[in-house]
Amino acid sequence: MAQVEKRGGLLRKSSAYKKPLKEKVVLMYDEIFMTEDPSKCSPRFWEELFLMKVNLEYLEGKLESLDGEELMKIKENINCLFQHCIQALGEEHPIRVVNALQTLCALIRGVHQKNKSTSGFDIINMLMGFDKAELCMKNLMESLDSLLCAEGSESLKSLCLKLLLCLVTVTDNISQNTILEYVMINSIFEAILQILSHPPSRREHGYDAVVLLALLVNYRKYESVNPYIVKLSIVDDEATLNGMGLVIAQALSEYNRQYKDKEEEHQGGFFSALTNMVGSMFIADAHEKISVQTNEAILLALYEAVHLNRNFITVLAQSHPEMGLVTTPVGPAPATPATPLGTTPPSADVISSVELPLDADVQTSNLLITFLKYSSIVMQDTKDEHRLHSGKLCLIILTCIAEDQYANAFLHDDNMNFRVNLHRMPMRHRKKAADKNLPCRPLVCAVLDLMVEFIVTHMMKEFPMDLYVRCIQVVHKLLCYQKKCRVRLHYTWRELWSALINLLKFLMSNETVLLAKHNIFTLALMIVNLFNMFITYGDTFLPTPSSYDELYYEIIRMHQSFDNLYSMVLRLSTNAGQWKEAASKVTHALVNIRAIINHFNPKIESYAAVNHISQLSEEQVLEVVRANYDTLTLKLQDGLDQYERYSEQHKEAAFFKELVRSISTNVRRNLAFHTLSQEVLLKEFSTIS
Amino acid sequence: MMVVLELFLLSEACLEARSLAVAMGDTVVEPAPLKPTSEPTPGPSGNNGGSLLSVITEGVGELSVIDPEVAQKACQEVLEKVKLLHGGVAISSRGTPLELVNGDGVDSEIRCLDDPPSQIREEEDEMGATVASGTAKGARRRRQNNSAKQSWLLRLFESKLFDISMAISYLYNSKEPGVQAYIGNRLFCFRNEDVDFYLPQLLNMYIHMDEDVGDAIKPYIVHRCRQSINFSLQCALLLGAYSSDMHISTQRHSRGTKLRKLILSDELKPAHRKRELPSLSPAPDTGLSPSKRTHQRSKSDATASISLSSNLKRTASNPKVENEDEPVRLAPEREFIKSLMAIGKRLATLPTKEQKTQRLISELSLLNHKLPARVWLPTAAFDHHVVRVPHTQAVVLNSKDKAPYLIYVEVLECENFDTTNVPARIPENRIRSTRSVENLPECGITHEQRAGSFSTVPNYDNDDEAWSVDDIGELQVELPEVHTNSCDNISQFSVDSITSQESKEPVFIAAGDIRRRLSEQLAHTPTAFKRDPEDPSAVALKEPWQEKVRRIREGSPYGHLPNWRLLSVIVKCGDDLRQELLAFQVLKQLQSIWEQERVPLWIKPYKILVISADSGMIEPVVNAVSIHQVKKQSQLSLLDYFLQEHGSYTTEAFLSAQRNFVQSCAGYCLVCYLLQVKDRHNGNILLDAEGHIIHIDFGFILSSSPRNLGFETSAFKLTTEFVDVMGGLDGDMFNYYKMLMLQGLIAARKHMDKVVQIVEIMQQGSQLPCFHGSSTIRNLKERFHMSMTEEQLQLLVEQMVDGSMRSITTKLYDGFQYLTNGIM
Repeated sequence: MAQVEKRGGLLRKSSAYKKPLKEKVVLMYDEIFMTEDPSKCSPRFWEELFLMKVNLEYLEGKLESLDGEELMKIKENINCLFQHCIQALGEEHPIRVVNALQTLCALIRGVHQKNKSTSGFDIINMLMGFDKAELCMKNLMESLDSLLCAEGSESLKSLCLKLLLCLVTVTDNISQNTILEYVMINSIFEAILQILSHPPSRREHGYDAVVLLALLVNYRKYESVNPYIVKLSIVDDEATLNGMGLVIAQALSEYNRQYKDKEEEHQGGFFSALTNMVGSMFIADAHEKISVQTNEAILLALYEAVHLNRNFITVLAQSHPEMGLVTTPVGPAPATPATPLGTTPPSADVISSVELPLDADVQTSNLLITFLKYSSIVMQDTKDEHRLHSGKLCLIILTCIAEDQYANAFLHDDNMNFRVNLHRMPMRHRKKAADKNLPCRPLVCAVLDLMVEFIVTHMMKEFPMDLYVRCIQVVHKLLCYQKKCRVRLHYTWRELWSALINLLKFLMSNETVLLAKHNIFTLALMIVNLFNMFITYGDTFLPTPSSYDELYYEIIRMHQSFDNLYSMVLRLSTNAGQWKEAASKVTHALVNIRAIINHFNPKIESYAAVNHISQLSEEQVLEVVRANYDTLTLKLQDGLDQYERYSEQHKEAAFFKELVRSISTNVRRNLAFHTLSQEVLLKEFSTIS
Repeated sequence: MMVVLELFLLSEACLEARSLAVAMGDTVVEPAPLKPTSEPTPGPSGNNGGSLLSVITEGVGELSVIDPEVAQKACQEVLEKVKLLHGGVAISSRGTPLELVNGDGVDSEIRCLDDPPSQIREEEDEMGATVASGTAKGARRRRQNNSAKQSWLLRLFESKLFDISMAISYLYNSKEPGVQAYIGNRLFCFRNEDVDFYLPQLLNMYIHMDEDVGDAIKPYIVHRCRQSINFSLQCALLLGAYSSDMHISTQRHSRGTKLRKLILSDELKPAHRKRELPSLSPAPDTGLSPSKRTHQRSKSDATASISLSSNLKRTASNPKVENEDEPVRLAPEREFIKSLMAIGKRLATLPTKEQKTQRLISELSLLNHKLPARVWLPTAAFDHHVVRVPHTQAVVLNSKDKAPYLIYVEVLECENFDTTNVPARIPENRIRSTRSVENLPECGITHEQRAGSFSTVPNYDNDDEAWSVDDIGELQVELPEVHTNSCDNISQFSVDSITSQESKEPVFIAAGDIRRRLSEQLAHTPTAFKRDPEDPSAVALKEPWQEKVRRIREGSPYGHLPNWRLLSVIVKCGDDLRQELLAFQVLKQLQSIWEQERVPLWIKPYKILVISADSGMIEPVVNAVSIHQVKKQSQLSLLDYFLQEHGSYTTEAFLSAQRNFVQSCAGYCLVCYLLQVKDRHNGNILLDAEGHIIHIDFGFILSSSPRNLGFETSAFKLTTEFVDVMGGLDGDMFNYYKMLMLQGLIAARKHMDKVVQIVEIMQQGSQLPCFHGSSTIRNLKERFHMSMTEEQLQLLVEQMVDGSMRSITTKLYDGFQYLTNGIM
């Protein structure tokens, strides 16, 4: 058999550039594309076919050239080929299995190419025939399942996953891919879990497995009961969940690393670092692009895990000290094309989870930290559509995290202090903070920092209203937890307050532009209510009495902004415009802030007058504040510490559909690149026999 | 522990020899055998000798059991020997070896039993039997010469006064194999805890002394190893640690190493120990309930066609399923200890405290994955299984180049470590998920409460129900219906805003109240230490233990189980704890002496587990922080700190704290003097919440001192600060302090032998620095000043106190420590 193979190889090589001589396999393909049954004249036709090296280009090209009607003519032969492929999957010799898998890829892709608009059922009919489809797919899925779970070759498993990915992403809209109905019935979920729970297979295939899972979960998510959703939501095996977390963390940290390298490359120029970096974002080379896109898939996987599976929350805090090690050798899938399949040196990543590296520079990290860093990079720039999507998804994930009690518990755990280097956008009016001087703090501080950072860096014409709303919601949810559990976080709240006030200022100064597109009052109301939270419930979560004084100081200092806001909402709520109701809510919410301003301002003025000081120092203002608390009465507002739970189905469905579509396209594009370079694979197996 | 001891005397026609057989009884007491012992008692008894013959029973109720078959076999062997001797010289040595030859005078005390076989119970150990045959001859040879002397000895041994301390002393000092063998047997009738105290001594003798001693000790050790897995572990560890000073070539073939191998090889696994069927296991409902629940959960969750259990079977082999025939019973525990040590080694390579702490936390979180397991903390006093290490609570302790660390360990108490099943794992977030935000009934303060009477708010008052895990419904993971359900979840926000607009009466609060509550609530915890990345342990140690337990329990998925306990342990890697162990023993001995003599001195010996010559574990002293930490954190003098913590001079709290301080100070001054404890800087002296001081770190005692610089020449450390707390040099408390020292010294002197003996035996074969030089023991004895009158002693105490007060070297040493290590 090996001889046949070799001869085939030789022939192919010599014929590569000389047209007249055709490969044997090509001749055989041609036979299939006749209307007659190819096995009629040569009974061993199918057996021989799978011994030949697959010529993907030819086969796919041939299929693509046919439209639906033409295809229907040779349907019998196509069906036959499909069936025999599936049969060959059960063969002992891996060469046949490999060839069958690749042929299947080509078949599925080729048939879809010309028939984008055709209904899913017709495509099933073309490929398998209605009558046999169910059995066919059952056999296919079972074969794939057993190949994935067997102790077999890693490259074979990888090819199986590629086939599955190919199958899942073959349509732009995953929910229109009717073949997946069979994948729902014949679940591959357990095989995916198994890959994730075993470290060796996780290293090889984790990335593909996670992406595949994320995509499968999104199949007809809102219309029917997707068994993958059900199953994913009840996984509680820690090894598996950790495996999944590791894969995600690795992919994200790989991205962070690449970004950092890029950033360092571009630094040193005397020109504003800003232009440099933004430039580098857009003139990114192909590799960079790939990594950006694939990370959306990973982010989606992270989202689904966090959103669906409560047990996964613990994984977020699980330390991954080994992460620092994955610098070069084994990256996630984007790097795999460089390292031929199945030939990755096993020594590269053999650190068992117990033996931790001794490198002192490697800071122990966890998925959440990696994710926060990643978010800080992605959210820097939201102009690009991909990045806008990613940024939004990051905020959605943070929302889910901020709602979870367990996640909050470790976010606020005083004993779990970390130094999180968030990326900060270099801006003209501020210097890049020195990384080393960061204090070690509970993780929630990093989340708050990230939110503050977002708030101050996105006040622009293309106002990302949606992201702002989410951002404020995250802060609010964290505060609700702190209030409820009486966590007194030592955080410099002042930064948050001034960021929020600046945002209010921005909203007012761009009132006309913004009002044309957005309802700015919901955002304003949320901001004001955050302040109300501090004002009325500050005693339950502020770290010191002086921080409460500082809050008052900040409000009094910035009273102009609140005054302006009040006059604006008052104006709009008395008019009978479309914003009447929204604006009047804000007026009501402002009652305490206005009370504070009206109470203290005269006192401060008289203090200044009495002491003959024109400009009071902060200390003097605080003194006045402290002295005059008792005569101030506040109104307790309802529902300050309540929030609406995140719900995907109604509000976010469109977003996720779009996201999945773009992920599908990317995965498909990258797949084309991968599957064609299987020489190594063949070499590996040709030596076996 | 509960031991039936029987002494049988076999007598032969010729009275030339009587053999005393001590038969040990981890026996199944059947009613029948009791008869022969009680029946023939009549004759000469009535005197104390009867105790020799009658059945001494301690705690009849609970009997550990030896395999009857083995016992029977042993008995038969012994019987054969008896017969043999019958025919021959007529010395019978039954199984257990001691032959006491008594002059005719003692005859009356010795019961003759005509029918030895009938007396023999099934209790014999085969070990005992072999030992017996070995020593029998030698003993016989010597017996004639020493008969008179030994008869007195026998009386002593039989007397009620003969305690374990004396037994150890005779075992060590006697050159007579017979005596040694007798004591070896006699060990069986002491309480286990009493013998356990001397385990280091026994094992050190076993390793380093001659064969006879070893032979006498071995049966007891083997017997106890069979009974208790913890004992086995301790023995194995100590044997390893105390053998390590031997030359490597001799060590390999030494007795200690062999016995260690025997213990580790698991041959001493009790033959009868069959893991009880789970259904019979005594406490299945506590330990196993979580697993039950998980099962139910998955069942209820499995919708229609999906069966989760079958899915998971295919994924990773479930490590939680316990192997019925686990390979070696000590293996999991040794693995556990090994991984703790490995963590310590890796931490030592990291440069900063912060990195160490982070690494520690992450390493422990990995360790958690393997728990619960059949492992336990040897420093604990009760049987338990370790279920979880709350990794975020662990702290790295202050040490310059090593990385000792403190971990808290959650355990589930069980009746019997061996037979109780290992508790099932409960995933980390299981408990938390029930308290997630949406499930809680609004537990914060509602606005009515807020507006109305609002005293200081306790944490959560009535939401206990919400926190319990019992609500399976709550635990259920969201199924996809969530998507459909969530629409019912009408926006709370909007609803509330609407209601607030048309609300009834607006609620008003005063801003001043909010501000006041804030400062009041913060004032409630004024003594908590501030977090310091350079000293992470300070905060952790300052937190009151009960509070910590409550907090960790709340956050633990196992916290709801009634048998949940929290333990803590310091893991030391790279430190030799054998001296610590020695110090612990001496302290413990002194403590019991002072208790016996009713001297109200206070010391706190803390438990030590020697793992090897360079690693071990320490039971931390709870509710105590070092004086260094106190001073650094509070920036107060010690006296002011006392005033801050306990109240002003005249308060009850201050006075009792002061008394505690004095009593502990006196106790430790004596300890420091007697043991010559050095390296007494403030980082090594703790202060507990009740005002006691506690000395830790006995790395430099007896003949060793740090770098031998000759600092700290005073008898003990007594700074003016300490005296200030006692109320100054003229105060009553200071006199009380000196008086306590005198009383303590007198009491200690009375029982000097008990103290010296501990040290002396450990010197055997030891290379420890504390035994450096040849005069260690002599100097130690001299410090008890046996020859002095009490007046002289009083003078001595005065001198020592004066000397220490004035000692320039103490101050110098503190200054030195401040300069080199930053210890205040």
